[in-house]
Amino acid sequence: MSQLLPGGEPFFLPGGSTGCLLIHGFTASPQEMRRLGDHLAGEGHTVLGVRLPGHATVLTDMLRVRWTDWYAATLDGACLLSDMCARIVPVGLSLGGALALRLAAEQPVAAAVALSTPYRQPPDRRLAVLRHLTWIVRFWRKGPPDWRDPQAQAERVAYPAYPLRAIAEVDATLAAMRSTLESIRAPVLLMHSAEDDFVRPDNMGLIAGNITASRVETALVTHSNHIITCDAARQLVFKRVAEFISRHTCDAP
Amino acid sequence: MKSGSAHPNRSTEEQLAILSGAEPFFFRAGRTGCLLLHGFTGTPFEMRGLGEHLAGAGLTALGPRLFAHATRQEDLTRARWQDWLASAEDGYHLLSGCCDAIIPIGLSMGGVLALLLASASPVAGAVTLSTPLHPPDRRMRPLRPVAPIVSKLRRFADKGPADFDDPAAASTHLEYPQYPIRAAAELYDLILEMRKHLVEVRCPVLVVHSRRDRSVRFSDGEALMAKLGSQDKQSLWLEHSGHVVTRDTELRAVFEAVAAFVQRLARSTR
Repeated sequence: MSQLLPGGEPFFLPGGSTGCLLIHGFTASPQEMRRLGDHLAGEGHTVLGVRLPGHATVLTDMLRVRWTDWYAATLDGACLLSDMCARIVPVGLSLGGALALRLAAEQPVAAAVALSTPYRQPPDRRLAVLRHLTWIVRFWRKGPPDWRDPQAQAERVAYPAYPLRAIAEVDATLAAMRSTLESIRAPVLLMHSAEDDFVRPDNMGLIAGNITASRVETALVTHSNHIITCDAARQLVFKRVAEFISRHTCDAP
Repeated sequence: MKSGSAHPNRSTEEQLAILSGAEPFFFRAGRTGCLLLHGFTGTPFEMRGLGEHLAGAGLTALGPRLFAHATRQEDLTRARWQDWLASAEDGYHLLSGCCDAIIPIGLSMGGVLALLLASASPVAGAVTLSTPLHPPDRRMRPLRPVAPIVSKLRRFADKGPADFDDPAAASTHLEYPQYPIRAAAELYDLILEMRKHLVEVRCPVLVVHSRRDRSVRFSDGEALMAKLGSQDKQSLWLEHSGHVVTRDTELRAVFEAVAAFVQRLARSTR
């Protein structure tokens, strides 16, 4: 009866006056932000992990969603947190990172964190053709898994394929992010895996270089795939994100 | 629309906002959580006053925005009823992070979602306000199979005149101005889905309906009372309000009845 994939539900962890808004990535689910959420809640913060529309239900739902639905869900999460928190810090992974940066450009946030976030999608000639044929070819199989931590791979709640129509919406999200990077006034932390074969780590420098009106910190990790919140280097990521948030919120837990 | 959304620079700002005043809300109070679900083409705004009242009574209140609502009415043409139920489930999961007992409370289509949640999830009770038992328009029945095609030719249908008793509430109401026809077909399917599961609703239920409701007939409220599988059923019949009972003349009576019902359940689950 439930519409949501088991384990892919959004989550809320009550805590202090800093509200961390956790935003997952494309074709994934709140599950990939959950351990980070637990860590931040353990630091005394309030945590809300949104589910982006079309995600954690059935793959075909992704064909109907537009990037504006994802951004509206991000705004929803910020609205809910703002009813109980003095300040908000969006923290996103990949597509979620682009949404977090867009939010940081448009809304008053205390700080923002973007993990494994693309500046733009790499040019792929096959996809360039296929995206005009989305009414024939609807899905594209994901490549072989590249997890360092097999346990994290086993726990993953995500779709097994990419819906081609929605890839255009990722493009739109990234374009919306790029067009507002210069408006970001809040401090930003960017993290990336040096071994990310899916979104190359040089994306981090491109984003950092275009955030001109605020301070940006960048950090590389190793021993991790694209999903740095779950793979083998996750504890390092959790500690750095928590330390960054504490430093910019001065929250007494 | 088709490829337009791939070009965010085109009227980006206009595309992006949630209608001002229609934002979702989360008022934290006690360990009993009220999930406040708005209606078809409506917004969290129509549940906000009730949410504030419940929070004042020591109850946690979460009013989510249902998928494709409170943005642009074109967005609703892409929605399926499963998206709205998923939005309601999202709210349920968020509340479960800070509450021991959850009571879904829905207006109109929100009540349909509340009953579907009650049939499948462990809730302490449910409240329906102005909730339909029959599809809104009998003409939908033969038209349902062709609705996806019809809705490409004629995308929106005008709403009739609002049936508010309180003109001040009518003038400040926030909702889409029209019904997207494709989405109305989904509402039709959602009501049929609820009817399949009504007998599985075993939790205490409060049914609120106004005799003057011109959008969903009063007889639907009475029939809903009769069909519910619950033993513990309560009703509040209003005399003057229109469809949006959470904002109309008798809103105080509605707020107090809902708060009393939820508090009774909170005591019994403790």
